Amino acid sequence: MVEIFINDRPIKVEEGTTVLKAAEKAGIHIPHICYHEAFPPEGSCRMCLVEIEGHLCLELACATQVQEGMKIYTETKDVIEARKGVLEFLMAEHPMDCPICDKAGQCTLQDYYEEYGLFESSFQEEKERKDKKVNIGKGLILDRERCILCTRCVRFLRDITKTNELGVFNRGVHSEIGVFDGQVIDNNYAGNLVELCPVGAITDKDFRFKTRNWFLEKGASICPLCARGCQIFIEYHPGFARFEVPKRVYRISSRVTSRDENAKEKGYWICDIGRYGYSYIDKDRTEFMAHKERDLSGDKEEAVKYINEKIKKLIYRNKLQWMGVILNTWLTNEELFLTKKVFTDDLKLKKVFFPEQAQGEKDDLLLTEDRTPNKKGTEEIGFQFDQLEEKELFEDTELLIVFWTSPFDLGTITELTPELKKIKTKILFTPFKRKWNDDFDLVIPTAVSAEKTGSYTNIDGKVQHFGPVLSPPGEAQAEWKWLISLGKELDIDFKSYVKMRSSLDVFKSMKDEIKFFRT
Amino acid sequence: MNKVLEKVLTKDFDVEHLYKIGVYMKKGGYKTLTKVLKKLKPEDVLKEVKAAHLRGRGGAGFPAGVKWGFVPKDVDKPKYLCVNADEGEPGTFKDRYIMSHNPHMLLEGIVITCFCVGIHTAFIYIRGEYENIAQRLELAISEAEDKGFIGKNILKTGFDLNVFVHRGAGAYICGEETALLESLEGKRGNPRLKPPFPAAIGLFQSPTVINNVETLSNIPHIMEKGAEWFVKQGLAEDGGTRIFGVSGKVKKPGIYELPVGTSLKELIYTHAGGMKSGKKLKAVIPGGMSSPILKPDEIDIPMDCESLAKADSMLGSGAVIVLDEDVSIIDVLRKITQFYSHESCGQCTPCRIGNSWINKIVTRIYKGKGKKDDLDNIEKLASNMLGRTLCPLGDAAAMPILAVVKKFRKELKAEIKG
Repeated sequence: MVEIFINDRPIKVEEGTTVLKAAEKAGIHIPHICYHEAFPPEGSCRMCLVEIEGHLCLELACATQVQEGMKIYTETKDVIEARKGVLEFLMAEHPMDCPICDKAGQCTLQDYYEEYGLFESSFQEEKERKDKKVNIGKGLILDRERCILCTRCVRFLRDITKTNELGVFNRGVHSEIGVFDGQVIDNNYAGNLVELCPVGAITDKDFRFKTRNWFLEKGASICPLCARGCQIFIEYHPGFARFEVPKRVYRISSRVTSRDENAKEKGYWICDIGRYGYSYIDKDRTEFMAHKERDLSGDKEEAVKYINEKIKKLIYRNKLQWMGVILNTWLTNEELFLTKKVFTDDLKLKKVFFPEQAQGEKDDLLLTEDRTPNKKGTEEIGFQFDQLEEKELFEDTELLIVFWTSPFDLGTITELTPELKKIKTKILFTPFKRKWNDDFDLVIPTAVSAEKTGSYTNIDGKVQHFGPVLSPPGEAQAEWKWLISLGKELDIDFKSYVKMRSSLDVFKSMKDEIKFFRT
Repeated sequence: MNKVLEKVLTKDFDVEHLYKIGVYMKKGGYKTLTKVLKKLKPEDVLKEVKAAHLRGRGGAGFPAGVKWGFVPKDVDKPKYLCVNADEGEPGTFKDRYIMSHNPHMLLEGIVITCFCVGIHTAFIYIRGEYENIAQRLELAISEAEDKGFIGKNILKTGFDLNVFVHRGAGAYICGEETALLESLEGKRGNPRLKPPFPAAIGLFQSPTVINNVETLSNIPHIMEKGAEWFVKQGLAEDGGTRIFGVSGKVKKPGIYELPVGTSLKELIYTHAGGMKSGKKLKAVIPGGMSSPILKPDEIDIPMDCESLAKADSMLGSGAVIVLDEDVSIIDVLRKITQFYSHESCGQCTPCRIGNSWINKIVTRIYKGKGKKDDLDNIEKLASNMLGRTLCPLGDAAAMPILAVVKKFRKELKAEIKG
């Protein structure tokens, strides 16, 4: 540890820390544009210049390492003037088309101008004209006039994906970012460039011109699209007054910040599959309970009672072996714990089946082969896969309860539709309208992870909790709510279910029972 | 200065075919190398070069011996020597004379330097436009290899050295040492952040010495005649002679090898023959375009690093550009801003946009559309560049611009009025 002084305030930091990080630790923000914690300092934007006692000129906060007794000043006349100077340079050649820029509202340049600039521009010359819409691949559009050449994008593709699609071309004020001849960006992390870009130089077609940043709200969640469980923000439109629109979610962005202990482990990125694969949240959702014969009139208790009736019938006939359950690894730890409690512990069912689910190729960075969020949690809760053949599941089955939480293809089960159809009573819990829903006697609408409270256990065994960002549509509610109601209704172990009023209560019970969740 | 003018570097330039190894050896070439390799230890060479106070001839004027001393001794990485032959500073043409007339003198200097620092690979980074000289260097290297002065087991002393010629592709910035390294590594020639300095982490992440052609060409002479002799050629803290390249409105433009500390006035009026066609002297750029301009009353000044720094200018590469009364100062300013605007690598903000911005203003003034606050603006912008850029190019642009505006404000103002 060394002691340094920032604006005369003594601060103790570890040796080798940069001035910028030391200041951040002390709560002093030093403006910077090209610097990003994931990369070594570049020192090209010159925004982070600070005064250090005994040094002849201003020094880069991002690249200068602290030394014992170093006296750093971040707000002297020289520093402020230098910042203004840099901002004025950057703004001089910037097109100032903020009114039509997708980044407006979360643009570093805008923010810094408000905070450190506020000058009258003395630029009276003609601005450089450059390409405004260059397709650089994967739906990314590059606006070279807006680009301030921080080269974060170039460094990301060089250091993180190691695909090197972008480079800087030409010289001086004509310098521009571009793809190399005959190449386009084609990797699963390209979407990060939009977030990395401090200005609106790189935008993606998915978000381009759709809405303004300040209309969006965001909530923390966990990406459910593979087993990595990346931390994400779901950015959604809170809705228009008296005007319902089906599209709520506009964008997914990465949530990992430097203060996050996992930043190093996970990197700061999310993959494009997670970033752009959000349309399922607002598309083809089941909103209302649907029963083939009965009119449930929106009475959730009635639906649970119906299920109870069907189960009880089998119990009275002592034919519980005729009941089967299909689960999946999209359910949260809490929900899986509840299904285990209801179906395996209370009802002692043998036919609990996990169909094979979406798999994909893994990459070297984050994306896993397993494209479901909670396989590890399922294992830890005590479920075993591949114990049961599909054929066995459908044989002599009179009552089948299916939980289908994945927005993806229905995997191997769809192939068995004729056999499925033969089953007398079929109940489906799902957030999605799919063709096969029609084959079920009762379809119960459930929530997607963006609308749930719960936790997933990621591939590395890390349990990550999340809360609801959106509310489920119509009569839909999270599976754990349905399961608690069912547990109570079954009245086999009524006391345990009464205790559970929230997903967190479920988690507490789970912690008591399963050692894994205690750490 | 009452010294006997002794030419060192350019002594044999008028000998026919000096670039051929036979001729060079007849003139005593490679004798020093043999002496050094067979009789001296690397430490002895370093001591001698340090004592000679040989300052870098490329522009920054950093003492060569000190630079070599920074290279860590015990590293398991290879070490490299990069010879900066990217002579790009406008007005400078001394290195091309050395390389085309006496390439072996440079090679001899390279081998001695590498022996001193413990380097086994050297690169000569030569500007792309010097294609013919690059060929001559390659020829010289192969001649030296044949004679056993370069290659494996040099002069049977067990010392190995390979020398390669690498041609640049026409960027001024690649003369900046770290940009040169990037370019040599096959990347875009962008300067690197310092620290780390190349002596510790340079070419291919390894310790690297980067010296100018003229600097290295002095090494054989220092080792032949001794540091004491060398210091006597110039000044106590700035030894030897320098090759001044005089261009512009003088009677006899060309290269003049003179002791460090020779007066600028003497250089122009005695050696270069004075002003052409009897015109009046208007200004002198004393050390390449990036050195701040001097007015006629400032030229009675010794040409050494310290003295020029005191006059708020710099010796740079010793390229003297002489301007007479016919030269319009807005022309000069425009040439300067055009050049730096064109040659800024574009990496850091102040240099990339500052230079282009100033150039736009100056061009506007040049076209007769100057505005009242233009000069103040130029000064403000240049000051915003000064000392705030990633590499010295920003300073190299800001300093001459500020000097021209300061010293010729009246004339520039007149341009704006019209």
